[in-house]
Parts: sequence; structure tokens; C-alpha cells
Amino acid sequence: MKTSMDRQGAAFFLGWLVATWAPPLVVAGMTALREGRSLGDVLCAPGATPFSVTGVAVLTALLLGVMGARRWPEPWRGWVERHGWRLWTVSLLMLMPYVLAWLTRSSACRRGPAFFWESIFIETFILALLAVSYNLVFGFAGILSFGHAAFFGLGAYVTGLLMKHLGWNLFLSGAVALLTGALLGLFMSLVALRTRGLYFALFSLALAEVIHMLARNRILVHITGAEDGFVFAVPAWINPVRHRLLFYYLALVSLVVAFAFVYRLLLSPTGRVFLALRDNETRAQMLGFGPLGYKTFALVISGLLAAYAGVLRALLNKGASPNVLSLDFTMDPLLMTILGGTATFDGPVVGAFLLRFMEYLLRNAQFRVGPWSVNLGEHWALLLGLLFIAAVLLFPQGLMGSRQKGQEIS
Amino acid sequence: MTQGRPVSPHRRAALAAGLFLVGVVVIDVLLFPPAQVGVILLSGLYQAMLFFLVASGLAIIFGLLDVLNLAQGAFFMLGAYVGFGVYRLLGEGLALGLRFAAALLAALLIGGLLGALVERWLIRPLYVRPLFQIVLTLGLAMVIREAVRTLYGPAGLIPIQPPAPLRTTLTVLGAQFETYRVFIIGMGGGLMLATWLLLRRTRLGIIIRAGVEDREMVEALGIPVGRVFTLAFALGSGLAALGGMIAAPYIGAYPEMGDVFLLNAIIVVVLGGMGSFEGTMLASLLVGLTRATAEQISLEYLDTPLLASVSILLIMILVLLVRPSGLFGSEP
Repeated sequence: MKTSMDRQGAAFFLGWLVATWAPPLVVAGMTALREGRSLGDVLCAPGATPFSVTGVAVLTALLLGVMGARRWPEPWRGWVERHGWRLWTVSLLMLMPYVLAWLTRSSACRRGPAFFWESIFIETFILALLAVSYNLVFGFAGILSFGHAAFFGLGAYVTGLLMKHLGWNLFLSGAVALLTGALLGLFMSLVALRTRGLYFALFSLALAEVIHMLARNRILVHITGAEDGFVFAVPAWINPVRHRLLFYYLALVSLVVAFAFVYRLLLSPTGRVFLALRDNETRAQMLGFGPLGYKTFALVISGLLAAYAGVLRALLNKGASPNVLSLDFTMDPLLMTILGGTATFDGPVVGAFLLRFMEYLLRNAQFRVGPWSVNLGEHWALLLGLLFIAAVLLFPQGLMGSRQKGQEIS
Repeated sequence: MTQGRPVSPHRRAALAAGLFLVGVVVIDVLLFPPAQVGVILLSGLYQAMLFFLVASGLAIIFGLLDVLNLAQGAFFMLGAYVGFGVYRLLGEGLALGLRFAAALLAALLIGGLLGALVERWLIRPLYVRPLFQIVLTLGLAMVIREAVRTLYGPAGLIPIQPPAPLRTTLTVLGAQFETYRVFIIGMGGGLMLATWLLLRRTRLGIIIRAGVEDREMVEALGIPVGRVFTLAFALGSGLAALGGMIAAPYIGAYPEMGDVFLLNAIIVVVLGGMGSFEGTMLASLLVGLTRATAEQISLEYLDTPLLASVSILLIMILVLLVRPSGLFGSEP
């Protein structure tokens, strides 16, 4: 029964993927054949292209399909009702570079406004990945960590430094970086298992701060570049400037896979124990589920995902600076998680998009209030702090919290 | 909180802490000439007192309310700004000593008042969601720091003049040491004693300590615990603000001045055991002396101040691995 459900689900997701990509690709291919141009040439043309026009038509059709979820026959109806909006968003993000190219009348794969917007999306995907990993620890396992930046920053540093100094290839250094994140999670769980919530928060804060200080210190200046950080040579095929579109899809697929993984994990019997432990540890223990393995598991997986986000970040920036180890990269995912909705699946992602785009829009906003001219970008940290307080006091459920409650996981 | 806990683990912890302190002093004596040892010990004490002023608030608030107030560093900074403001406001007409005393008092009172307001309006709605309280105090710290930076600029204030007798230097075993730092040690010691007496010898102290042990029982006895909570929060933030004002003439008043002290105060309360006042006293001495020693060692033998910060953090990580609830904390 379960496998047939899974098989149907897989068929549905695959069908959705084909529905998103096939029509635009077919139209673009036909145009290329008719006009005797290469497919890449057609795809990269500036402004509205056959590809982007068909893509928008497909998105509209899918949107109508999601809105009319009730009319779908079983078993599809259940899938559309549960995942329709998520899948539509993924489709939108998949076609986004071309939509952006249309909107900004520029090319999706060459320097220009669309190129710039793609980089903003890439950064958001990486932050969302970080937030998803944070939510696994904070929302689902109920562990407050102030050291998440250590995973992220180490991921970036380990990859970059191994490639720069030892000349290792990307995959090997990336794998070592992921392993470092997982091992750090394992080490942190040694303390997490023995202490109450607050001690762990402080312990993780101190541990992350030690690593931050080491990265900034001049003792290791020949290796880490101290305050200035370092740059390294990114392999040409993944160079985020020359192949930004490829990097865009890499980041997007990473986010989607991580999301699906966390989703699958939390809906599995193991995931149920997570929630039981978070909600009532004593009772869960009485039922025979000790917290040890589960908390360790959450921290290791979360460390791995956060380190992966760090690897992507290092590749995107072609380097790393101590900033990636600073408290900022713990605060950001924390606020994103709370804003979007703690312990919801979509919350961290929504929070990441909200925060990142708000920051971008407000960075250069200039307001006139009477005689004063206020530049909001200069006071971004102040706004963040106020947002923290408001989110905690006024809408602790977060944006997605009330909607998802009772539907999947409460 | 456990009742009637055995004494022995605490005695062992006290012994370990004492041995560690002696060890640090022995290292000092072995590595440096006597004059320098005196200066190191004094500067360790001076740091210990400032850490204590921030940490005692953390410990009291945590012990009673189970809230980790990460805005203590911001209150520390705010105390300095309030004190400086009052000092300037009083003008040249008044005697310097009087203006200085007024600045100290204003920092204590306004810090306490702000703490009370924060507890009443921001913390109280969140007692059912403890993790979110921490997040809130963190947001509050950000807001206070950024608001001060916006209003007064990132560079900080022009330092004020303490009264003339505090502007001299003392000679300790042939080495120079600023009188103002000795004043900080004296003030810190006095406040340490005063807080200890308040907690041990007054009715309010008894209620606070009883509240730390068993909140429901105190409530059942008809004591308005809510008001006591507000008072304890005010006491903690007031002490931090006073600490900031005491420190500012020496270290300067700038928006980030509280951050370093908060981190060290956190280490102090974790080492001492959250909510244990005596543990906080001992741990602040431990952290202060270790830092001073490590600073001197890195000054003489390494060319970076890294050791001072990292040694403390490493000690904390080690203690947490061995004794997860700190030296004097009760087992969860």
C-alpha cells in the first residue's frame, strides 16, 4: 500500500516536472529549428523569448490547476491539495530566470539586470537552505542553538582552504566540508544531550565564537587571511559569474532536495519521535524513546545541511571572510524561522525570501519625514531587532504557522 | 530545582575552583617578576568586578525567572550613556565629585526602571514560551544598540572626568597602576557585598531565594511573585547599567561596549552555575584572573591578544563537558 502511494506520488511529481519544462523547451526547440539558430541562442535572447512566453503560459495553467484542486480526480486531488502551492512555487522559481529576463528586457545568461536578480535569488536560496537546517534543530528537535554560524562558516572555510592551499578538487573538499559540519554537530550533541536548553545555547554560542575568533586572528593569517578572508579559484564550469544560470539551478535544486529530505524525515516514524521528544520529553522517554540518538541525529543532519549552504556560499563569493562565522549567520536563520513559522516546513523558506527581499528593497530606500530624511538601509540592524521583538510578541506562529497547523504537523 | 541536594559536589567544585585560582597565581609568580604579578592580580580583579556586575544580574534573573537576559550588555552600555548625559546636564556649577556620584546613581535608577518596564511589558507575556524569551532579549539588545548608534553616532561619547583623586596613578610593588581601576575594584567589591547581604539578610532576599528554589510554593504562601520578579529584573539590569557607568570613564562609552562584557558575563554564569549567586562571585574572579594572566602571557610571548578570549571560552567548554550544569549549579 505504502509503496504504491510512493510510486503514485513519484509519478505525480515527475509529471509536474515534465509539465513545467516540456512545453517551453519544445516551443524553443521548434523556434530554433525554424530560424536555424542554436537552442542556446534562442534561450539566451534578451527580452521576451518563445521560451519565456510559453513558460509564463504554463505557469498560469498550473496556477489555475492548483486553484481548482477540488476538481482533480482522486488520487491526484490529494497530492494537489497538499503540495500544489509548493510545486507551483518550485515551477515558478525554475522558470524565474527567463521571467526575469522578460521583465527586465535582458538576457537570462549574459551580464545584465536579469543576471543581477539571479544572484539575489541564489543568495536567498542559500539562506533558505541555512534556515531549513536551523529549523530542523530549533523547530523540530526543540534545541535552541546560537552556534549555527559555525556550521555554515566552517563549510565555507573548509572548502575554500582545502582547494586553495592543498589544491584538492571541488568534490573532495566539499565532501570534507560536509563531514566537518556533521562532526561538529556530533560534538555539539555531546553537550546537548547532557544539558538543559539554555546551557546548550550558551555552549554553542561560545564554540562558534572561538571559531570566529580563530578565523579573524592574525596567528593564522597565512592560511585564513585573518580579517580580510581569502579568495580561491573556483573551477571554470561552476564559476558563478560565467555560468550563473547553472549556479542558479544548482542552488535551487539543493534547496528543493534539502526541503524534501527534511519533509520526508519529519513525516517518517523517526520524525514523529522528534516531535514527541520536543513536546514532552519525559512522556516520550516513558514510551521508550530516549532523546540521545534523536537529538544527535538532528544536530548531525542540520550541521551537514548548514555546511552545504556554506560550501555554496563560498563558491558564490569565490572566497570567504570571517563574517560567515559571525553571529549574523545565526541570527538570520533564527529570525527567518520565527518569521516564517517555527516547526513548519515552508516557514523558513518563506522567512528567508521575506527577509532577503525586504533587506534589498529597503537598503536604498530614502524616506522624508518632515525635515528629516531617513535612509532605512543604514538602520537595517535596528529594523531587524524591532522585527525580532514584533515577531516574538505579536505573531509567534509565524506566517505559515496558523495555516499549516493541524494540517500536517502541530 | 531539587531539594536537599548533597553538599559534596559543590564542595568539590569549590575546591577545584580554588585550586585553579591558586594555579593561575603560581603561573603568574613563575613567569613574571613580582611587580608585574601585582599588576596582573589587580587588573584581574578589576575585570572580575566588571564581569560580576553584568553577570550577577544574569544570575539573579535566570535563577528567579528562568530567563536568560541577553540584553544585559545593552543595559551596561545604556548605563554609561545615561550617566554621561546626567553628568553633562548638571553643568560646571556643581562639584565634580557630586556630578560623578549623580551620574552613577542615575545609571542605577534608570537602568533599573528600564529593566522593570522590559520585564512587565515584554518578558511577562512570554513566560509560557521560554525559548522565545531569549530570542526577544536578543532582539532587544540589537534595538538598544542600534538606537544608540543612530542617535549618538557610532564613534561613542567624549569621556568624562572622574573626580581628581581618581585621576592619579598608584605605585604597586614598584609598578604603575591607575587609581580609577582600584576605584572600580572597590565599587565592585562593595556592590558584591551589598547584593550578597540583600540576598542573604533581608526579607526581599529571602523571597527571591525562595522563588529560585520553588516558585509555586512562594506563590502559594501569598507572596506577590509577579512584583518580586519585576523587582529582581530591575535589580539585575540596574546593576549592569551601574557597571557600565563605572567602567565607561576608563574604557569609553560606545555602542558596542556591552558586547564583550555580555559574552564574558555569560561565561561567568555558565561556569558558576546558572542562578547560583555565590558561584557567580567565584566564577567572575576566576574568569577575571585567567583573562588578565592570559593577556599578559600573550603580550609577552605571543604577538596577539587571542589567548585571553580563547582561554576563557575553552575553559567554559571544558567545564560544560565535565559538569553540564556549571560548578555550582544544581543538576537538572
